Parts: sequence; C-alpha cells; structure tokens
Amino acid sequence: MSLYAFSGAIELGLAYGLMALGVYLTFRVLDFPDLTVDGSLTLGAAVSAVCVTKGLNPFLSLLPAMAAGFAAGTVTGFLTTKLKILHLLASILTMTALYSVNIRVMGGRPNIALVGMPTVFDPIRSLDVSPFLASNILFVILVSAVILALVWLIRTEYGQALLATGANPKMITSLGVNTNFTVITGVGISNSLVALSGALIAQNQGIADVGMGVGTIVAGLASIVIGETILGGRRIAVVILSVVMGSVVYRLAIAAALSFKPWGIAFQPSDLKLLTAALVVAALVLPRFRDSLRRKGGKAARDA
Amino acid sequence: MLKVRGLSKYFARGTANELRALCRLDLDVRPGEFVSVIGSNGAGKSTLLACIAGAAIPDEGRIVLDGTDITGWPEHRRAGRIGRVFQDPLLGTCASMTIEENMALAQRRGRRRTLRAGITRAERARFREALGSLDLGLDRRLGEPCGFLSGGQRQSLTLLMATLVRPSLLLLDEHTAALDPRTAGLVMRLTCDVIERDRLTAVMITHNMQQALSYGQRLIMMHRGEVCLDFSAEEKSRLTVQDLIYHFHAANPAVQGAVSDRMILS
Ligand SMILES: Nc1ncnc2c1ncn2[C@@H]1O[C@H](COP(=O)(O)OP(=O)(O)OP(=O)(O)O)[C@@H](O)[C@H]1O
Ligand SMILES: [Mg+2]
Repeated sequence: MSLYAFSGAIELGLAYGLMALGVYLTFRVLDFPDLTVDGSLTLGAAVSAVCVTKGLNPFLSLLPAMAAGFAAGTVTGFLTTKLKILHLLASILTMTALYSVNIRVMGGRPNIALVGMPTVFDPIRSLDVSPFLASNILFVILVSAVILALVWLIRTEYGQALLATGANPKMITSLGVNTNFTVITGVGISNSLVALSGALIAQNQGIADVGMGVGTIVAGLASIVIGETILGGRRIAVVILSVVMGSVVYRLAIAAALSFKPWGIAFQPSDLKLLTAALVVAALVLPRFRDSLRRKGGKAARDA
Repeated sequence: MLKVRGLSKYFARGTANELRALCRLDLDVRPGEFVSVIGSNGAGKSTLLACIAGAAIPDEGRIVLDGTDITGWPEHRRAGRIGRVFQDPLLGTCASMTIEENMALAQRRGRRRTLRAGITRAERARFREALGSLDLGLDRRLGEPCGFLSGGQRQSLTLLMATLVRPSLLLLDEHTAALDPRTAGLVMRLTCDVIERDRLTAVMITHNMQQALSYGQRLIMMHRGEVCLDFSAEEKSRLTVQDLIYHFHAANPAVQGAVSDRMILS
C-alpha cells in the first residue's frame, strides 16, 4: 500500500467515523436500525455543496448541512413514534424520499462538482504541511471535538434518558421520560452527524453525488462491530472512541484488500459492498458462534 | 388520594373477541392507605393498575389523583406522581446501566431531562446511603451494571427507585411473584418498611392470600372487572386464609380449585 493510499484510507476512516458515530447513536444507544443515514449522508453533502457554490463560507456550510440531517432524522422519528410505523420501514421511507429531495437540493442534477471552490481544508493546506497530513489534521481535530461532545451528551440527564430509552423503554417511561421525544431527537442528532460526515466527504473529494450514500448503514455497522472487537470495554468514552477506530481500521482493510490482491484475487472497488456485508454478517454472528463453541468446549471438559 | 369512577376498559372492542377487562369500576383510596388487591386470573387487576398508571387508556371513566383529573395524561406525565414496581424484575431497571445510573434516572422521575450532569457527586453519596438501608451489600456496588444483580436484588432496587422521590401513589403489580419465597418475604418486608416510613399511599396486587391478609390496611377482591369484596382493616383482621378462599370460590364458582397451593402455602 502506498503512502498515498494509506493516508487516504485514514482520511476516509475519520470522515466516515463521524457517520459511524451517528449510526452508533441509533443502532447501539437507541436500539434503532436507522437506514435514513443512506439518504442523510448525501443530504449533508448536497446542502453543503450548494451552500459553498452559492458563496457561503465552507465552515459555515456545515451548519445547514447538519440541520438538514437533523430534520431528516426527526422525520423518521416522527413516522415511527407518532405514526407507529415500524422503525426499519420508517427509515427506509425517509431514505427513499431523500433521494428525490437530494436531487432537488442540487438543483435537479445528480451531482455538484466542487473543483476550484473553497473548502474547509484550504486554511490547513495553505500551511506548510505535507499534503498527506493536511486533511488528516483537520479531521482529527473535528472528530476529537465530536467525540468529546458525544461523551458529554451521553453523560447529561438527557443522554442518560437516551440510553435508557434504547435499553428499557417501559422502565424509563415509568420514570417520567417521554420516549417519543428522546427517539425523535436522538435519531435527529444521529443524522446530523451523518450529514456532517457527508458534507466533509464532499468537500474533501470535490464532489457531492446522489449515489454517495448507498451502503452507508452497512459501513457504519461494520465500523461499530470492528471497533467493539478491537477495543471492547463498557466505559462510554472507550466505546465511542472504538467506533471511530473501527471506521479507520475498516477503511485501511479495504485499502489493503484493493492493493494487495489477497489470495490472488484482484478486488475491484465495486466488490467492496459485498465484502463489507459479508464482514458485518461475520462480526454479528461470530460472537454467538464463539459462545456456543465455548459451551460445547465446557461440556467436553466436564465429560472428560 | 386516588379516586376511580366508572372505569371501563375493553379489549378488541367491536370484534367477535370483545372482552371487557374493567366494568364501570369505582375505587377510592385514602391518603396513606395501603390496599391489597386479589382476584382470579383475568379479573382485571393488572388492567386496573395499567389504567391508573396511564399504560392503558380506559374507554370510559375518570381517574383523579390528589384532586387532579389525570385521565387524559400520558403515561410519562403521570409518572411524576406515581411510582411503580413491575412483576418482572428485568423490567424495573436497565441491565446495561450501572446501579447509580439507574438510581439517577429514578431521582429525576417527573422532572425534565436537561443538559446538566446525569449524576452528581452529592447524589452518589445519597444513593450509597439509601442502598445501605437495603442491607444487600449493594452500597459497595454502585458502579456495577444492574444486569449483574439477582432478581431479588433488582426488585429491591426497583422498589427503592420507585420511592426515591416520594410518589403520591405507589403501584405494585405482583412484585414478589417472580421471586423465591425467602426473597419474596424480604422484598415484602422492605415494601412495608418503605410504605410505613414515607406514609405512602399504595395499591398492591398479589396472588398470595397470606400476603394479602398480613400486609396493608385494606383488602379488595376483584372479579370480572369489578370490585366484588372490600374489607376494611378491622374486618380484615378477623379474616383467615380459609375465609378468603371461601369468598374466592363464592365469587368464582366456575373455577373451583383455582386457588392453587401457591396461594395457600407460600
Ligand atoms: N393487551 C391485551 N389484549 C387483549 N386482552 C387483554 C390484554 N391485556 C389483558 N387482556 C385481557 O383482559 C383481562 C384482564 O386481564 P388482566 O391482566 O388485567 O388480569 P389480572 O387480573 O391481572 O390477571 P392475572 O392474575 O393473571 O395477572 C383478561 O381476560 C386478559 O386476557
Ligand atoms: Mg396481572
């Protein structure tokens, strides 16, 4: 793997790490498999790209992008809580609707090129640092800030109610929390992070494309399960850090698979979704498999 | 105080399977009164408590608590005044969260969840003290997830959490039924202590006749969604388990033998 590919993978890992944090908030904290993210990643990219082409400061463009992501999340939350649509289906409906919305946002086009436009990376690129490092420095700063904010949020009264909403909704309702509110806002916050991720990716790659969000949820899940496997731990700060680490490792693994031709197979970028899906299946099933192996092992030991 | 007037609750209303779980039920509970509720399976006891707590919406009738009509209040809003312990020990706490985190959630029952710290140092000290009164050694395990606790420990903790902020009304739905007899006794004693100490108004469902006789100032029996017998403290003190079984069968002749050994012996 070239240095270029390596630093590129870390860049992607950090950028998509923000998305993975959003997915963690729904999938793990709220116990809500939220497919909205496939649409809200693109939404964030589209809103930010449009704002930048209209002359808004690229940093400021992240705010409307996040607000749009938040709104998309609240739509899913509303569909599932107030209208009682199954959460998975509710999120698929929003995701589908977002496809049209995203093209509308981009003025009827399927993509917006940002070549020659100002981006959030300009200030740091103008410094005298290696181009391999420049975007990564900014990503590390941004991701660290988001991690700190999330750890803080989870430790607040609201964040604790959010955790309990996912773990035991009946109990937290009996303790006076309106779970409709926590679900709607929680899914909103999650999608605002996903949209932020999409906005940064668009600015970094110089293009917002209507298809860029496809498979976001699976990549997010992959990051979460890889992170859990590597770091483990129960402390919320560790768990949140592990999600970003998982995202970086995941992108490195993809870069490796593309460059090393493992087992003599030359993977194409288009094979990655299949590989990722297989990886998530393995990661979801393996712990259970390991447990049953251990149980059998224990039995064999007793029988001996 | 609790005032229930003409409460009716139907399930599958308007279908062939329509079932009336509560039938124009009236009930008054005075402040500081501890009422035990017995009745055969399907009598509507749990449905009554669910309607009072807001977990089920009645089709007719009013529920008034402390002079406020709460019939239209959503469950989470009523929670500010009502403490609850469920039959299933797993339901009362969050297994993945620590003991102190669970208690901090309960400490904020009925309050808005803000962006302030979810748990403070002062609270930790208070929780440790409150746990100490349970005498289960939990005061040294504040940072452990509730999933590590036994059913009895979890149920004791749930009881503590339900009363951490004084509720106007405490609802207990067979909260000792899932426990072994010794642990059930322990949790029951704890329940009485708390109710006496804080002078709580409480309604407790039980299938244990002895428990219904020994605890509480008043005993009511439900049948087919109605209150069919209502014994005051004085009447109750003269009752024996045998009398109670007699009444039980008189109310419910169709299910002779429905009084299981569990009810008599445990
Ligand atoms: N969600 C529901 N849907 C349909 N019917 C229900 C539902 N909940 C309760 N019922 C019915 O309402 C009636 C009263 O039920 P309830 O649970 O209140 O009885 P109970 O007195 O608590 O009985 P048990 O002693 O078995 O707990 C029963 O016939 C029951 O089948
Ligand atoms: Mg019941």
